[in-house]
Amino acid sequence: MPSKEQVLRLVSQGHDYDEIATTLGIPPGQAYLIATGIPADNSGTLTHDERARPGILLSHPQRLVNPREVNPVTHGGVSAWIRSRIKPDKQLRAAGGN
Amino acid sequence: MDLRDGFGSWPVLRQLTGKDRYGRAAAVQSGHSEQVEARTASADRVVKSVCPYCAVGCAQNVYVRDEKVVQIEGDPDSPVSRGRLCPKGAASLQLTTGQSRLHKVLYRPPHGSDWQELDLETAMHMIADRVIATRRETWEWESDGKRTARTMGIASLGGATLDNEENYLIKKLLTALGVVQIENQARVCHSSTVVGLGTSFGRGGATTFMQDMQHSDCIVIEGSNFAEAHPVGFQWVMEAKARGATVIHVDPRFTRTSAMADLYVPIRAGTDVAFLGGIVNHVLRNDLYFREYVLNYTNAADIVNDGYRDTEDLDGLFSGFNADTRHYDFDTWQVEGMSVPAASGRRENPAFQELTKNGASIRAACRSEMHGSGGVSLEGEPRRDETLTDPRCVLQILKRHFSRYTPEMVKRVCGISPDLFAEVCRHLTENSGPERTAEFVYAVGWTQHTEGSQFIRTAAILQLLLGNIGRPGGGIQALRGHSSIQGSSDIPTLFNLLPGYIPMPHAHQHESMDDFLRADAGYRGGWSNMRAYLVSLLKAWWGPEARPDNDFRFGWLPRLTGSHSTYDTVRLQLEGACKGYFLLGENPAVGSANGKTQRTAMANLDWLVVRDFNLIESATWWKDGPEIQTGELRTEDIATEVFFLPAAAHTEKSGAFTNTNRMLQWHHRAVEPAGDARSDMWFMYHLGRIIREKLAGSTDEMDAPVLKLTWDYPTEGSDAEPIAEMILAEINGWNAAGEPLSSYTELKADGSTACGCWIYCGVYADGVNQAARRKPADEQDWIAAEWGWAWPANRRVLYNRASARPDGRPWSERKKLVWWDEKERRWTGYDVPDFIATTPPDYRPAEGATGDASLSGIDPFIMQADGKGWLFTPAGVIDGPLPTFYEPQDSPVVNALYGRQRNPARVLYPGEHNRNHPSGNEPGASVFPYVLTTYRLTEHFTSGAMSRTVPYLSELQPELFCEVSPELAAERGLEHGGWATIITARSAIESRVMVTQRMVPLQLDGQVVHQVGVPFHWGSNGLTTGDAANDLASIVLDPNSHIQEVKAMTADIRPGRRPRGPALLDLVREYQERAGITENTGMEV
Repeated sequence: MPSKEQVLRLVSQGHDYDEIATTLGIPPGQAYLIATGIPADNSGTLTHDERARPGILLSHPQRLVNPREVNPVTHGGVSAWIRSRIKPDKQLRAAGGN
Repeated sequence: MDLRDGFGSWPVLRQLTGKDRYGRAAAVQSGHSEQVEARTASADRVVKSVCPYCAVGCAQNVYVRDEKVVQIEGDPDSPVSRGRLCPKGAASLQLTTGQSRLHKVLYRPPHGSDWQELDLETAMHMIADRVIATRRETWEWESDGKRTARTMGIASLGGATLDNEENYLIKKLLTALGVVQIENQARVCHSSTVVGLGTSFGRGGATTFMQDMQHSDCIVIEGSNFAEAHPVGFQWVMEAKARGATVIHVDPRFTRTSAMADLYVPIRAGTDVAFLGGIVNHVLRNDLYFREYVLNYTNAADIVNDGYRDTEDLDGLFSGFNADTRHYDFDTWQVEGMSVPAASGRRENPAFQELTKNGASIRAACRSEMHGSGGVSLEGEPRRDETLTDPRCVLQILKRHFSRYTPEMVKRVCGISPDLFAEVCRHLTENSGPERTAEFVYAVGWTQHTEGSQFIRTAAILQLLLGNIGRPGGGIQALRGHSSIQGSSDIPTLFNLLPGYIPMPHAHQHESMDDFLRADAGYRGGWSNMRAYLVSLLKAWWGPEARPDNDFRFGWLPRLTGSHSTYDTVRLQLEGACKGYFLLGENPAVGSANGKTQRTAMANLDWLVVRDFNLIESATWWKDGPEIQTGELRTEDIATEVFFLPAAAHTEKSGAFTNTNRMLQWHHRAVEPAGDARSDMWFMYHLGRIIREKLAGSTDEMDAPVLKLTWDYPTEGSDAEPIAEMILAEINGWNAAGEPLSSYTELKADGSTACGCWIYCGVYADGVNQAARRKPADEQDWIAAEWGWAWPANRRVLYNRASARPDGRPWSERKKLVWWDEKERRWTGYDVPDFIATTPPDYRPAEGATGDASLSGIDPFIMQADGKGWLFTPAGVIDGPLPTFYEPQDSPVVNALYGRQRNPARVLYPGEHNRNHPSGNEPGASVFPYVLTTYRLTEHFTSGAMSRTVPYLSELQPELFCEVSPELAAERGLEHGGWATIITARSAIESRVMVTQRMVPLQLDGQVVHQVGVPFHWGSNGLTTGDAANDLASIVLDPNSHIQEVKAMTADIRPGRRPRGPALLDLVREYQERAGITENTGMEV
């Protein structure tokens, strides 16, 4: 098991946790836990002191343990479908100058 | 066994012999736990979602492996919930994947004694056939000679637990079929919120948002057990407290909320208007109001008609009351210079007066709720007295009206000592002003009363007087209890509204679109663009069929003729006029007032469709309901056909919930539902598709609206689920170029735009699902504008123009939110300004200006006709322009304030199973001597349909109980842990007894009042069963919103279990006889 010092040394050298994980052969979330003492899933509330710990990620550390997030904000078919709605609507198109 | 391996795997040995001597690392891990892998670690994907229970809107991570949901956790990125889930949210894995869910369609034939299995396709066709047949049989073209184009034979109930997109399809399809009786939980939970907030401020939603609570200097929680009913939201109260805020809890019960408060104030249930009115009086009498705010931003200076008579003059009545119709005429409530346009030209028409019973049928149609997003339409310019000294100015009328609400009166009515009352007043007033703000938080403890709308109005008046609206840490927080109950009000599955709070047209008043707009559209303020909102809606629904030459098919909307609320539907079911009923995620057999009436009404239906996760009480009453037990109903006599269709869980469908603070959050479909389970989006879409196929080629005029409906939603997945993003795009709207609209200001009245819900316009701006945005809270400021999307226009604190002085500068640096940037010549700030961005503070409209141009630079309430917050409502609240204290329908106390015991305008439903109690000193009142109130528990959810079937939650709260004080226990011989029977004139229930000092007997005016608290979650089905508390309630309603009074009743309580079988009826009858109850009891005006 890598030590805290090992992980923090790599952090201080500018490596991110994915690179550190590859280097040390452990999952990135585990590397984060070793370095900070804080679970990467962010399941606890951090105190001011904890937020100041070396190696801490101030946003979205859950990415390290939940790498396959699904949250699409667009849908490919919507534009074409809207156009199909508008096409037969002569009044709408005429009123809109199209 | 290899001993070395065996001992070597012993953690203590590893710890002592290895480097990890203190056991702080892997040394202490056992061999077993070393093999165990977290479900989250091996998931294939993590799908972003939202909790399906209450309306806080906690974000969830849904972990999926092998196309199965394996874990659900809180999403720490959420600015609202910050990763937390309450017991219900944490149990949602069990809710969605547990064994209690059914995945097979079930069918109960007429007179059948048991369920039969049915395939989904057959069931859908059978339901479609019944809709078509019932519609034909009950179709009504006219009523009283006026076109109605509707069916009263079909009704629908439910939507607050569903997505906005599902509500949209329900409303769209059923309206096109001519169904007007479309209702959901919002009617029975927060309809009075819409009235109270909407008429005061111009919009019917909470004025603030959860995270802003941290900026409050004083939080008054009243009518809510915030810590237990909305636990995750309560963290923001604790944040405020940590920053030094004073927290006050006013409630009949001492709860966990009280435990965390600085001040607990026990109050008699149902007397909040007297308490809040007392604070209003304190503020006015001692000149503690925020004068500059009040003068500039409220209607305090308006001069009221000289014909106005107050309750001070008429002993509890306002001028204009008609005792025959129980309705008020608003004429004398008008302010000089302004009038309600709906009234003009109509009063002189005798035929109109006769038809509407002097306007009563129109007011009965819950018109007040149209102010959910738009104030009352008024014409003219108010005459004002800027000195606020004219005896007829609103401020002086307010002073006189509330003058009798003294601390002594508060003591007599509420049971609150003058010292404690003074402390509340001190905290509230000391924490209001330019440098400080106070906030009110409430839930159904305020809404569910015969004057629920006026409870909220009183708080609105107080917050306006104190200058706490539109400012950080201020406002009124309405805590809603279903995941999308706000959404199902905005996109309403409600009888009286179209999307965006556009009122449903009324047969007596709205024959053409011009008539409709003349009556209800504003001439000033944001409501003045109603034509554009309405035309765009009709274009979204009927596309090319909606044209200027046919009034955009306005005539295809079915018409109202009065109240068609869920309680009116029940009456029609009892009469046999309403024959078909959809229950879409709602359980009225347990959750609505007077369960017996609900169930016996369903026994009179031809057909019933229940869509839920499992067999709720509303699906099985014909087999095992309480009336079967008492012998009032016999299964073999009941002709109702019942279809049970299993519903999809939130993890099995995409869509948006709108949380309690108007914020839309998208949840994605993580997996497809198993078996026959389907979303309500699926159900409505395919039901509409099948009906249209069956009606294809029909030339019957009544079929045109449904055949010409735009109903072409693409589907996806093996189950042909409609693509929710398409529906969202329609709700958002588009222009003639096919571009999604960015704001409701782009909507046009010429038919060049389509938009399904104008207040949601912008949620799909730029073709991006704004509701799905999840920029982590840590990467944003406290407003977190890039997490989800809030209506209107992504504004989080409503009326935030009021956070600045009239000249546009912030009231103080500490309470800075939005301000005028003179250099840029526009409003700016942390939040999106809730104001016309370029209207400077010194702008004053020209005479006769209309629309946005009519609002001055000091009119923060932009949806109001005059741009002001309304201390006095000249129209819109139908039981009075000012809140007035009346006792609840059933009360052990005489009204100490007026000669009127009860709200004279309340709505009553006489019926054999809906008897009222004598009150106060009326003969027989002592038979029901105790105040009864109902409430929610952390571990259960509304009627229990989503919690009593969940093992974790059932184990946490396994049994119905009642809370009583030690004094009441001694008086009635109740034992802690024993049984009690609680009796009203409607029914009797049994529960375990919890004797607790948390219930405090209240000392009133020489009278001790005991209160009994009962949670309302139980019914006869599920893992934990019990009697339904709502069986005790009568159907008696707030006249504005038609919400029922279940938070303050009277009852008797005695030790022991209730009788079984017919003996239960004997007990209730005996009580009725002892109390001398007849059909006339409690019915007086």
